[in-house]
Formats: sequence, structure tokens, C-alpha cells
Amino acid sequence: MKPKKQTRIAVIITTIIFCMMFGNVTALANDHVPYDTYNYDYRDYIVHTPAAYVPDNSITGVSFGIGAFNNPQDLCIAPDGLVYLADTNNNRIVVLNDSMTKLIKVIKEFDNNGTLDTFNRPFGVAISNKNELYIADSENKRIVVLDANDKLIKIVSNPQSDVLEAGYVFTPLKVIVDYADRIFCIAKGMTEGIMVFDSNGQFTSFYGTIKVEISLWEKIWRKLSTKKERSRQSLFIPTEFTGIDIDEKGFVFASNIDNQGVQAVRRLNPSGEDVIKKGVKKNVGGDLMTGGMYIYSGPSKIVDVAYRDNGIYSILDSRRGRIFTYDSEGNLLYIFGGLGSQAGTFVAPVAIESLQNKILVLDATRAEILVFNATEYGMLINEAVALRFDGDEALAVEKWEKVLKLDENFEIANVGIGKAYLSKGDNEMAMKYLKLGMSREYYSIAYKRYRNEILKDNISYILTGIVIIAAGVMITKKVLRRRKNIQDDTDGGGLE
Amino acid sequence: MKRWFSKDKLLYPFYILSHPSDGYYELRHRERGSVPVAIIITALFSFCYSMNRIHASFIVNDVDPRSVDSMSELVGVMLLFFLFCIGNWSVTCLMGGEGRFKDIITAVGYALLPLVLTMVPATIISQYVAADEEAFYYIILIFGVAWAAILVLMGIMIIHNYSLAKTLVTLFLTFCSMLIIIFVTIMLFDLLSQVYNFFRNIYVELQNRV
Repeated sequence: MKPKKQTRIAVIITTIIFCMMFGNVTALANDHVPYDTYNYDYRDYIVHTPAAYVPDNSITGVSFGIGAFNNPQDLCIAPDGLVYLADTNNNRIVVLNDSMTKLIKVIKEFDNNGTLDTFNRPFGVAISNKNELYIADSENKRIVVLDANDKLIKIVSNPQSDVLEAGYVFTPLKVIVDYADRIFCIAKGMTEGIMVFDSNGQFTSFYGTIKVEISLWEKIWRKLSTKKERSRQSLFIPTEFTGIDIDEKGFVFASNIDNQGVQAVRRLNPSGEDVIKKGVKKNVGGDLMTGGMYIYSGPSKIVDVAYRDNGIYSILDSRRGRIFTYDSEGNLLYIFGGLGSQAGTFVAPVAIESLQNKILVLDATRAEILVFNATEYGMLINEAVALRFDGDEALAVEKWEKVLKLDENFEIANVGIGKAYLSKGDNEMAMKYLKLGMSREYYSIAYKRYRNEILKDNISYILTGIVIIAAGVMITKKVLRRRKNIQDDTDGGGLE
Repeated sequence: MKRWFSKDKLLYPFYILSHPSDGYYELRHRERGSVPVAIIITALFSFCYSMNRIHASFIVNDVDPRSVDSMSELVGVMLLFFLFCIGNWSVTCLMGGEGRFKDIITAVGYALLPLVLTMVPATIISQYVAADEEAFYYIILIFGVAWAAILVLMGIMIIHNYSLAKTLVTLFLTFCSMLIIIFVTIMLFDLLSQVYNFFRNIYVELQNRV
């Protein structure tokens, strides 16, 4: 009888354990997206998160009856929401409406002072606040500027300057325009920085040059090597920029490929200095875990950057097909995306843009625009960051609490809530959340206040305690001395 | 048992704390030390070290608790301890040191006592400091480390009856010999594994053919 009972209990327990295990598995599997969604915690461990964005649909040229796109390289979004796409190998610009359901027009040619002119490998497109279209017409070595009715405004070509080498061939790849119609252009093979043209199309200067950092070890090595050896070593050439975008204040976001994986995006102020904030990790370079020897390893290869609202920006990695989103302080908000052949994954992602609550990614090989929709999780983070960006920390707390319900490991949310408790004066709760968020600085402030509070509340007990102990010590001392005196007296008496 | 753990032997490390010069002399010449007590102190040090890494307050502690394993740390501390003792013994044997191997073990083991005695209060105090008061915590720790370093130095000097300069030279040579020991051990393991693999391959080959 007894062993049977034991086996039954064992069976029940195993079933319960199995149920729990598979319960978890199904809970994870509900969240089916064709890629990993994760983030890095304070100690750079990978923490899996809910998906911030999920694939919605993809837009191909075939669906509009204009033939498939061929190696499209760039897309941009006009102030009125229209989507412009540089269909590079088809030598045309395709314009779609804001929901990308209808074709507005296809620009194949334009009237160049009486003659009909076409494009040759248009690589980049940009649109100014005045709705003027800037096309980096790469193999024609020029930037073409058209107005809303496809009339030519100007052509920028053949830049002249003392700082340019003689015989320099200008091949524009990516282009962006600021509020004053200045053109920022990434040109092929131009390692000295972004080329800036004024509103008349005159080349003015280079902008935001990436400085080459030579390590001490490399310096010593170069000192030790002979001239002949030195001539065969690789040159220290600054890396080129890969993608470019501009925020509403006129600061330029430019991405580059960083082999250290530390800084793959720069925020350049009007004088060309990098003013990006790199957050607590001092890293805006995409993936942190880049080790290993397999094909999937190595630092992220950032090919484009998209500025979104409220200081948020996303960068696109072509090595692993990830999209990393940072806030204005350089905190990594969420990561999603991956390479593959399923719907919603990339083969060769080249450009990224954001449109309302969507993220658009252009894939050159698949020749389609992939659309990602924000989930509740992604929306909540976006809204909370937006509120904090506006200085509305108290309102942001509501959003952060909802975020924590979906993902309780999200450190930025914990810090946000902790700070709100701190300003409200609830130091104990603030300590709890700030510790979860690993914010040493604010935790310490909360702790100091909490300690003072406790001391203040209990000061009477503490003082009474000290007085009682002091009195106790004095009395025992006196008693002991008296006893000793008595003993001495008796001893003395004995002697006498 | 009494030879190792009498009341006098257990209290002797505390006497050395404050009287290193006399203490180490008597440890060498009057058999007042005890090897098991020294090893227990080393184990205690390893334990306190792990406790400090796990339980020191969030403000002063950047250690990932997931990376702390007190058992592997105990093994590591013990290995390092014996490596140092063996290294020192092999050097001082050649350089006219008077200390025996058990004297070296007791001297070094007893010298770790200040670390045990400071790490525990430092860990407790760390619970009550804020960010700009960390100095209190670190002062206690540094004090303990400095004390232990002085004790090791004096211990080695006195048990071998060396001058200070000679002690420093032997300490340097001790580190060299530690490296050599590590190198030889690794090489030995590597060669042994190759020999093992050779015979194993022969066995596998025979098994497959016969």
C-alpha cells in the first residue's frame, strides 16, 4: 500500500512540473516573431524582452504594376507623409502615399533646361521642408533638386575647392537637407567627412570628420618597424559614413561602421562636433556581445540611422539584421529584427525610416520595403520616453509601470519609477526601484534620505539609549571601585 | 589534537597581530604555531572574501552576484596559498633560509588574519554608507590589506632570519618560481594528456580492427 501511494505522489509531482515547464514554453511561443527581441541589462547579459515591433507587411513594386524594384538603396519620408524610394538600378524614383497603398507617381526623367534628362543609379533621396526633392544621382556624379511638380530647381555637381584633390570625382551616395537648404552629402570614397553645400549648391566644407584613433600599441609597433615594413602596413584611414538623417533642431545624425563596436552613430551639431550621449554603457554601437568565431559574430555593421521623434533614433545593422533604438540619453530601448528568408526578416537591409508608429526598412536584395508595427510594449516605451524628454517624469511613471507589467526586467523603467518616488518623498520605494534599475547614483541619494528619516524618527530612543548605557557604565564602575575599596580595607585590616 | 588546537595555539595568531616580531620568532623557535590553524584562517579568509563580494552594499559593490562561487573561490585561494608557500620554500631552501615548510605555512596563514578581521566589519559598514561616504569602507579594507602585507613581510623575514633586502629579493624570486611551477604543471598536464591520447588511440584502433 505504502509504495503505491508514493509512486502516485511522484507521478502527480512530475505532471505538475511538466505542466509548469510547458506552460512557460507556450507563453514564450505566443510571441512569435521571426527574430530575437532582447536587450542588455546592466551587466551586459542578454535579457529577452517582448517584441517592441512586429512585422506587418512588405511593399514590392509588383503590387503597383510598375515592375519589381531593382536594388533600391534609399527611402525618405516627406513632411506630408509621402514615401520616396530611390529604385537605384531601375533609374527611377518611386513615390507612394503615406499608408503605402497607392502609387502617387514614378519620376524617371525631368526637364533639364529644355532637354529631357534621366537618372543613372540614383542612390539617395531626401526631401526638404519646402517639399523639394534632392536626388543623389550617383553615376551622373550630381545631386538633382526638383520641386513638387518635378521641375528642375538646380543641379549640384563638380564641387570646386582647395581642400579637394585635383581630379576628384564626386559620386554622391546619401544626401540630406536642413531647414536652411544646406545639403549634407555622403560621397563615395570620401573619408574626410560629410560634404556640405550651401543653398546655391556651392561646396563649403567638410563636416563631422571621424578622427582616427591610434592605440599606444600601434604607435609603438610603428616606431619599431622599418620604413619598408611601414609602407606595407595598412594605412590609418578614417571610416566613411554610411547613413544620414537630421532632427528638427538641425542636428545631423550620421552612422558609420565601427570595428570596435563602440560608436556607430554620431549626432553632429552645426559646427560639426559630435554631441551624442552614450548612456551609462558608453556605447551606441549596436550589439554588445560580439565575440565568438562563427559567421554571426563581430561588431554590428550599422548602415543607416533614422531620427524619430523626441530624441529617439534607430540604427540598422546589416550584419545581423537588427534594429537598435536609443533614446536621447543613449539608453538602449529595444532591439528587434533579424536576417533570414521568412516574411519580416532581411537579406540585405540598407535603409531605415520611421513613419508614425511604423518603422520602414528597405531591403536591397529582396527589393521591398518591410513595414513593422509598434506593439503595445513598443508604444508604451516610446510614449514614456517622449514624456520624459518633455520633462514630464510624473506622467511617464504610469507608462513605465505598464511597461514593467510586460517586462519586469526593464531597467530604464525601474529607474524612471524610482526617480518619481524619490521626488515624491517615498524613499523606501525609491530605493527598491532604483536598485532594480541599477542606478547607483540615485539609489545613494534615496538611501541617504531614508537613513536621515530613520535617524530623525528614532533620535529620542537613540539618545535615551546612550544616556542609559553611559549611566550603567558609570554605576558599575563605581560599584566595582567600592567593592575593591572594601576588599582593600579588609585586606589592610588583615595586615594590621 | 591538543598539539594543534590548544587554547594557547588558537589565541597565538592574535598575539602575532600586535607583536609580529616576537610572535614570529617564537613561532619558529618555540613551536607555538599550528599548521591546521593557519589553514583554517586561510579558509576563513576565502569565506570572508566571498561574503564581501556577495553581501557588500550595492553602493560599493559592482560584482555580479551570479559570478560569485564561494567553493571555487576557496579552491582558488587555497591553490594560490600553497603555490606561494611552495614557491617561497623552494627559493629559501637554496638561499639559506632557516624556516621549515610548516613555518612558512603558519607564517603566511597567520598573516591573513587581519584580512578576516577587517573584511567582516567593512562588509557590515558598507550597508550603512551612501555614495560619498564610501571612503570609510575602503579605508578599513586598505588598512587590513596593508596590515596583512606587513605581517607577511615580517613573517618571512623573521622565520628565515633574513635582512629586509634579502626578504624582498626572495619575495620577488618567489613570484618567479610560482610562475615556473604553473608553467611546468601546465606542460606536464599537456604532455600527460598527449601520452594518454596516444594509448587511447591505439586502444580504439585495435578495438576497431580486431
